[in-house]
Amino acid sequence: MAAELIFNLSKETSKMKKIAVGLCFAVSTIAAGISDQAIAADSPLPSNVRVVIGSTSTGGDTYQVSAIVADALAQKLRINAKVDAVGPTAAFQAIAKSDDGSTIMLFHDQSYVGHLYGVRGFSDIFKEYKIGPTVAINPGDSFLVPTKSPYKTVDDLIQAAGHDKRIRVAIQPGGTSALGYTALKNAVSVRFPGKEGNVVAVNTGSQADKNQLLFDGNADVINGSVQANEQYTRLPADDQKAMRFVWITARKQTLEQANPEGLGQTSREQLLAFATPAASVTLDGTKDWAFDKEFFLIYNKDMKPEVVAALDKALAEIYAEGTIQATLKKSFFIPNFMPSAEAEKYLKEKNDETKKLIDKIR
Amino acid sequence: MDAIFSSLDVTYFLLVSLGTIIGILFGAIPGMTATMAVAVCLPMTYALDLNHGLALLLGLYVGGISGGLVPAILINIPGTPSSITTTFDGYPMTKNGEPEKALKIGIASSLFGGLFSAAVLFYFAPTLADWAIKFSYVEKFLIILFALTVIASLCKSMLVGIFSGVLGIWVSLFGVYDMSKGGNGELRIIPEFMSTYLENGFSLLPLLIGLFGLSVIFDEAQKGVRDEPADNVKLTSGRRFQWSVFMGQFANLIRSSSIGTFVGMLPGVGGSAASVLAYSQTKNFSKDPGKFGTGHPAGVIASESSNNGLTGGALIPLLSLGIPGDSTTAVLIGAFTLQGIQVGPLFIGENRATWDIMMIGLVAANLIMFGVMYFAIRHIAKVITVPKYLLYPGIMMMCVVGAYAINSGIMFDVWTLFIFGLFGFLGTKLGLEIAPFIIGFILGPSAEVYFVKSLESFGTLTIFFTKSPIAVFLWVLIAISVGYSIYSTRKAKSHERHAGNGEAFAK
Repeated sequence: MAAELIFNLSKETSKMKKIAVGLCFAVSTIAAGISDQAIAADSPLPSNVRVVIGSTSTGGDTYQVSAIVADALAQKLRINAKVDAVGPTAAFQAIAKSDDGSTIMLFHDQSYVGHLYGVRGFSDIFKEYKIGPTVAINPGDSFLVPTKSPYKTVDDLIQAAGHDKRIRVAIQPGGTSALGYTALKNAVSVRFPGKEGNVVAVNTGSQADKNQLLFDGNADVINGSVQANEQYTRLPADDQKAMRFVWITARKQTLEQANPEGLGQTSREQLLAFATPAASVTLDGTKDWAFDKEFFLIYNKDMKPEVVAALDKALAEIYAEGTIQATLKKSFFIPNFMPSAEAEKYLKEKNDETKKLIDKIR
Repeated sequence: MDAIFSSLDVTYFLLVSLGTIIGILFGAIPGMTATMAVAVCLPMTYALDLNHGLALLLGLYVGGISGGLVPAILINIPGTPSSITTTFDGYPMTKNGEPEKALKIGIASSLFGGLFSAAVLFYFAPTLADWAIKFSYVEKFLIILFALTVIASLCKSMLVGIFSGVLGIWVSLFGVYDMSKGGNGELRIIPEFMSTYLENGFSLLPLLIGLFGLSVIFDEAQKGVRDEPADNVKLTSGRRFQWSVFMGQFANLIRSSSIGTFVGMLPGVGGSAASVLAYSQTKNFSKDPGKFGTGHPAGVIASESSNNGLTGGALIPLLSLGIPGDSTTAVLIGAFTLQGIQVGPLFIGENRATWDIMMIGLVAANLIMFGVMYFAIRHIAKVITVPKYLLYPGIMMMCVVGAYAINSGIMFDVWTLFIFGLFGFLGTKLGLEIAPFIIGFILGPSAEVYFVKSLESFGTLTIFFTKSPIAVFLWVLIAISVGYSIYSTRKAKSHERHAGNGEAFAK
């Protein structure tokens, strides 16, 4: 023990030296920073950029992706980029006031899905704002049942609803989780016309609330994520908290891009068993419905074109370098860069497809 | 073991100390909170490894919660919502010339509460987390209802107190029934044209510092500004602090710390409920309930040990279920997310070294908090010797900055501060009770969500009585709380009548 302490003390002395060297380095970095300011001055972007996100959570996927992207942009453009978790309404209000690039927004498909569901505070982003590049996909959006549930697969749930069993699905209304619920309901209506009313939504908020509904037996299936719920799926079956995945909504080709080790103790191969085609939720009787939760930038409608171009160029270079891919994949995200123009066209098409589904089942 | 020793370096303890000191400053400035401190410093942890990042954040958490007692005791403005009850007896102690004593009692109680909850977290986290999930919407609603019933025991007039509490609940429901909490997204109570400002209702902190801080300044402005120090108090004109003040307070410390830890581990109930419950239970168990509100050390002990008891309590569901217990741990979870670490039911077992390092950090943060605050208190307490004409503009400036900053620069929050400053100033003159109003405001939204969700889930009102033995037990507590409040109010009135008769007889 004493030897360990002495060893640690000597390590500390060497660490202190390193700190001193670090301080010298910091001084020189500040000096270098002055020249960085000059470089930033050449860029059309302001030297301080606020990245507002459509979530108030700092523990969720939006904050995580935003922190990774903001950090990469800050290093590339030598600017300060700060992520602010302000929530959708405040984020949209913030970018509506900023057309010089000092405030940009990063959010996911809920930005237009919210409008399609008629959620207050969400407008048509394709009309009111400018769509920026896509940056990543979270392939972890999933649905879970208790381990002891009689429903072992998503097909069991569809069959049960088709045979007049009431299936209660815990979701957050108006979000991407509601989309999974709508798709499930649609699948029942396709396979068992007139029985879709047996799939009912239990509207709730946080993941904690959704989990609690499952523990209490007040929901048959909940929306969750691989990241938040994977550990629950490894609990012994007699544990009240034990869950099992029944459906992962991401496309197969997206999930296949994840690291082979998957997340936690669940490998990519195991996860693929819960995604289409293995877990089938039909869209129209011929093809399955699948949905990638995509993250992208959103700007003020009148954002200066040179700022848009600069961000496109910077992100293209960042993704070409390849480092960000490893960082994103380490956290179970799939890198997915698409420049602004391409992203806008792609997301508009996705919006229109999603609208058809929501309108059909409304 | 090697992993633990390699992380516990000088930098680790420097980061805990730095976090604690910054946290204390955030907690001590009205309008700034522990949550804000953790949120501001969270991006810094991206550049650190997980253990060093957690060292900084745990320091901020403990410091932020503890710092709230300073303005609560010295200037009657709770630095954080969970230190509202600290003002009830802390500020009267300052007015009695015992600011240093009140602060030291508060700091020592905070240390006890913090260490108590850390011990509970370390030894019982997974077991308690399993127990916590037995609290569904119904039980959580009943706990909030229980906290609301204590309004009756906190006010001078029961009827006015209940009215003020209900008014607080009503004001808390302004704006949209938030879909992120499972609501329907519809605007309530306010007209559509006000939705630009009030879509999310009034923000808690501007409202809190308006009611507690600005209303006092308006009151002073009405009296006219004079040169003397605030409330003409001296630093040590009253009795000095002695450890013997804790004699006979062991049960209070254990009960209040337990309440803090218990409420902390129930996600969604909120930290303010902990100190309100602890304060009222201490008053109810006291042989001298009449002393509460006049500068009774037991009140400060209850409030501060319970709100620091929250720290370990709120970490229980975070580390055992991946579910944050309060708003600060909701930000803290970001440190794990940023490092790509999953927090869930298997976290402790799979990350034993991180868990042990966190526990050491939590204990260290509490000890550093105690060391820093206890020995700096003599200087901090000098705030009250500053003349009012200098002190109040300074407080006002901090209030405005805090209100503006709380939601990243929303000007309406500054207007909220002034609206509720004026409301507090005029309301007090009309006999309105501020404490029940604010307690109603804080607990109202959770009460609504859990009540509505209980009905949506079970479809019948009888579920509140039949859901579980825990629900029945909570009803018993509610009944005792209400019954005791009625009994003590009648007893106090009877005392007043006897005293009045005695005086008349003497004349």
